[in-house]
Amino acid sequence: MPASASARYLSAVRVTAALTLVLLFLTGCGINAIPTLEERANAAWSEVLNQYQRRTDLVPNLVEVVKGFAAQEREVLTQVTEARSRVAQMQIPPDITSNPEAFRRFQENQQALGGALSRLIATVEAYPDLRSSENFLTLQAQLEGTENRIAVARRDYIEAVRAYNTELRTIPGRWWAAIFYPDAQPMQNFAIEEEAQAAPQVRF
Amino acid sequence: MAGRLCVRVLLLAGLLLLSVSAPGQDDYPRLTGRVVDTADVLPADVEESLALRLAEHEAATSNQLVVATVPSLGGRDIESYANGLFRTWALGQKEHDNGVLLLVVPADRQVRIEVGYGLEGDLTDALSSRIIRNEILPRFRDGDLPAGIEAGVAAILAAIDGSYRPVDEDEASDYLPIVFIALWAGFFIFLIIRRRLRARHPNGARRWAAPVAGTRRFGRAGGMRRGGFRGGGGSSGGGGASGRW
Repeated sequence: MPASASARYLSAVRVTAALTLVLLFLTGCGINAIPTLEERANAAWSEVLNQYQRRTDLVPNLVEVVKGFAAQEREVLTQVTEARSRVAQMQIPPDITSNPEAFRRFQENQQALGGALSRLIATVEAYPDLRSSENFLTLQAQLEGTENRIAVARRDYIEAVRAYNTELRTIPGRWWAAIFYPDAQPMQNFAIEEEAQAAPQVRF
Repeated sequence: MAGRLCVRVLLLAGLLLLSVSAPGQDDYPRLTGRVVDTADVLPADVEESLALRLAEHEAATSNQLVVATVPSLGGRDIESYANGLFRTWALGQKEHDNGVLLLVVPADRQVRIEVGYGLEGDLTDALSSRIIRNEILPRFRDGDLPAGIEAGVAAILAAIDGSYRPVDEDEASDYLPIVFIALWAGFFIFLIIRRRLRARHPNGARRWAAPVAGTRRFGRAGGMRRGGFRGGGGSSGGGGASGRW
């Protein structure tokens, strides 16, 4: 009787050890790589949205300050306001990062706002009083900082998505995706050329 | 056939190695201290007093402010260069991201304050821009780079003073999980080996108790103390401001 109890105990230990080994082996082979990289890419996307939102929030103050000195620049001010409201009203579907159409629309709207903002900043060149007002300088610093954060967030997103998509398409990851993560889809990425165009120069 | 495949695999491996090493960030200077004056604009005594001041500030708050001057940006804009340099050096403590980089490029007449995530609230873009406009640029325009840098450092330190307390020196948390896993793994191995041995020599188990104690040394690797100065593992998302003179 004691002999069989100890044998049962031994086999339990063996099974646990074997399970632990299998688990360690699977982890080592990257069974977790897809969800890990996906989360990283999602976090990078949230940061992109966050920084674009920050820019959207800055625009009304900027428009207000510029109006105070240069109300006659109606055309460019209207362009900025309209581009901003398009961005603000844009519906962002939850699957935007794997939905090419929504992703493209998002890009276009944000680019339109970026373009309008850089035209506004260029117009301001002609108003020395405005350019030296502390209010405007503060807003300009915030806008520059935000544009720079957007650039950094986009770079990080590009890198995170590149890693995730590569994992999905290359060999061990491809097998894991087929077996365990059938809903994993490649994510949309910003093209590098767009990247160069999309960073508006808001400097004097 | 098999030979050709082998050659292909070797070629591919070689290409991979090349592509990994090619876009290296070797245009960044090395982090030799809290003041990295590769453009050589600071007299030795100023450099020393600045470094001392920055070290004292870090000891009191754990904030890592580093001053860097570089001869050229290698064709990049100062924003992306500063962000790349900040992340390469990993300024600020990992748990707070409380680093700041003051980067001066005398040849291009550009300056930037790059702020780590954790200090964005204290050293905002607007405040960074004000420090550059009011403290740094007027002195730079007079041709006095050391004075501009000192004034900038003083203003930055004033802004970020009191934002953080020193990081807890007890680094047990770094390697606790490893010790925990190692102990468990050791325990199982010990059990199996003991069973085996018991089966052979009923009294031979004792000699094999050693591996469990041995696992402790494993965990120490995570708790290295710094010898010289290095970044604490912080990151930056592009906050701060730039200026030209």
